[in-house]
Amino acid sequence: MKTRTTHAMIVLAAGVWMAGASTSGAAAQTPYQVVDGNTVDAQTLNGWRTWRAMACERCHGAQQEGLVGPSLVASLKVLTKDEFKNTVLHGRIKLGMPNFDGSKQVVENIDHLYAYLKGRSDGAIKPGRLQEIAK
Amino acid sequence: MSFQTSLKRWVPYVALAVAPAFALADSDTEKLSKDPKNWAMQAGGLANQRYSELKQVNKDNAKNLQVAWTFSTGVLRGHEGGPLVIGDTMYVHSPFPNKVYAIALEDQRIKWKYEPKQDPAVIPVMCCDVVNRGVAYANGKVFLQQADTTLVALDAKSGKEIWKVKTGNPKIGETNTNTPHIFKDKVLTGISGGEFGVRGRITAYDINTGKEVWKAFSTGPDNEMLIDPAATMTWTDGKMAPVGKDSSLKTWQGDQWKIGGGTTWGWYSYDPALNVVYYGTGNPSTWNPRQRPGDNKWSMTIFARDLDTGKARWAYQMTPHDEWDYDGVNEMILADVKVKGKMHKALVHFDRNGFGYTLDRVSGALLVAEKFDPAVNWATHVDMKSGRPQVVAAYSTDKNGPDVNSKGICPSALGTKDMQPATYSPKTGLFYVPTNHVCMDYEPFKVEYTAGQPYVGSTLSMYPAPDSHGGMGNFIAWDAGTGKIVWSKPEKFSVWSGALSTAGDVVFYGTLEGYLKAVDNNGKELWKFKTPSGIIGNVNTWEYKGKQYIGVLSGIGGWAGIGLAAGLQNATDGLGAVGGYKELAHYTELGGVLTVFALPGK
Repeated sequence: MKTRTTHAMIVLAAGVWMAGASTSGAAAQTPYQVVDGNTVDAQTLNGWRTWRAMACERCHGAQQEGLVGPSLVASLKVLTKDEFKNTVLHGRIKLGMPNFDGSKQVVENIDHLYAYLKGRSDGAIKPGRLQEIAK
Repeated sequence: MSFQTSLKRWVPYVALAVAPAFALADSDTEKLSKDPKNWAMQAGGLANQRYSELKQVNKDNAKNLQVAWTFSTGVLRGHEGGPLVIGDTMYVHSPFPNKVYAIALEDQRIKWKYEPKQDPAVIPVMCCDVVNRGVAYANGKVFLQQADTTLVALDAKSGKEIWKVKTGNPKIGETNTNTPHIFKDKVLTGISGGEFGVRGRITAYDINTGKEVWKAFSTGPDNEMLIDPAATMTWTDGKMAPVGKDSSLKTWQGDQWKIGGGTTWGWYSYDPALNVVYYGTGNPSTWNPRQRPGDNKWSMTIFARDLDTGKARWAYQMTPHDEWDYDGVNEMILADVKVKGKMHKALVHFDRNGFGYTLDRVSGALLVAEKFDPAVNWATHVDMKSGRPQVVAAYSTDKNGPDVNSKGICPSALGTKDMQPATYSPKTGLFYVPTNHVCMDYEPFKVEYTAGQPYVGSTLSMYPAPDSHGGMGNFIAWDAGTGKIVWSKPEKFSVWSGALSTAGDVVFYGTLEGYLKAVDNNGKELWKFKTPSGIIGNVNTWEYKGKQYIGVLSGIGGWAGIGLAAGLQNATDGLGAVGGYKELAHYTELGGVLTVFALPGK
């Protein structure tokens, strides 16, 4: 299992690099890969799975549009990656945002969660169920 | 039970024996609740009927009701429960931070205010908004069950703390929303956290000292559930029979029962003649049924327990192996009901699963189980011999399995009714029930348990019941003897407020848009008034200086209204828990206000 993941990561890293290279000039690389809005790389898929497992939609909405918690479509346009990670891992307790640093799944997938939500915020990833890009 | 525990339990009794025992041992709550001028318990009385003998407001003059006074709680978010009135004083609460106000009815002056210091870390672990269902009163004390699981007794005169006790641990997802229940000399409380894998139980404390008297878990070994395998009965093959050894352990795989839910945040009732307390247990954890094969006893169960010892007399599991989040915590209403020509001391319960149950509350025998919304489709019927619902395969989220979206299940996880309590009028013999008319798609997935982290395991999408009137609620009248809907009044949104029936032939309920409505016994609308926010509180009534008052908390929130806070105008279809409710934003905003009504004049 571990070997396969590592292998997949290498392949994907190359994919992202190539995607970056193919765009013109100094356009920023995206932390996710997506095809047709709902087919993503393995890491981004794990980001979505983490989102789902932590029931984030209860506060942020099934489409990240915000309910009791803020819209992540909007927030991810403003937050830096470090600010995002800090908020998710340490929470904003008084506002009702839990600290997820006690969750192994979140700690291990924080970059992937960022990738997924960034993709949602960019409008590149569609709401709802995702699948993995065929290898 | 260890020797030490039993010794501790004896100490207060020894002390009481020298005092006038009866006056000290029992609370005055039952007596106070029998005077219709008071509203001394959240449900009006021990039987959970939410009925008042007051009749100054009647079906002919209800149209003249007007606002007498209002009071802001100063808190946003969902306001459930309602005010208590004892004599010349009202006690009213707020959601987190759980403020309590004592208000003089004479001039609406605040006599005292109590605001507990609570760790805000509790906010993120409250599943469906930081609601609280109100305070309780006994023997000059006001009891508050805080969100952080602290149960506190306050001096009703000064608001000063008399005792407090921790009933759970928010660090593992345990919180509280329920009202404390005062029965005789005890205060009973439950626990919330079914979405965090807590282990449900109810606990009884001495009202005078806060000492724990007994604790009964919903799952696990017999002794921890206070179940006697030979004496605790359950409906089996058309009759009552002992539950037998390890009735819970046998229905779980491995240690799953330790994080198995069965929480207890509903409305309990008490029959003083039988000395039995009745309550329901919530969903088994997780929402992904494949991860917990078996019946998952005793989640989703009506329990009857001896008040003094906690020992279970009988238990009835309504939804074995839940696959839809149909918590069984809703109110247990005690009434005399005639079934097939025979009068029964009955218990009537409108379950989240869409079936209205009538049981013989003495024996626990199942008498009636019928759908109280025709939209209910997950089961064809309840088999009266086994007592088990007959699940329709297409709607079985276990059979369809994880990562498969089971569509068109009615009711939704909100249930055909959630905790918003119904009322029973002994005058008409009918139950008046606030209901949801909402269906769902349910897609379970595998989750790992981490203490204090969400343990849900399903993605939901909810919408109004298809091929119906388009609304998401009905207010209905129910005949519990036959299991039939007598009349049904459609509502645009779920009816999420507790109802009140009165000897004046007026029935009251609130709506999510914020209307307080009065209808007659036939469901004809007599009057309505738009309060400042959506109503998820319960309607209560009392009399002061010869005048009848009706009071209700408004303040949208809770599970149904939780989506109002932000961004809904940008939402598109398929929104999960609040998808169908986005329209609410056109009607109401947050804000907790108590509105009190009376007839003009005098």
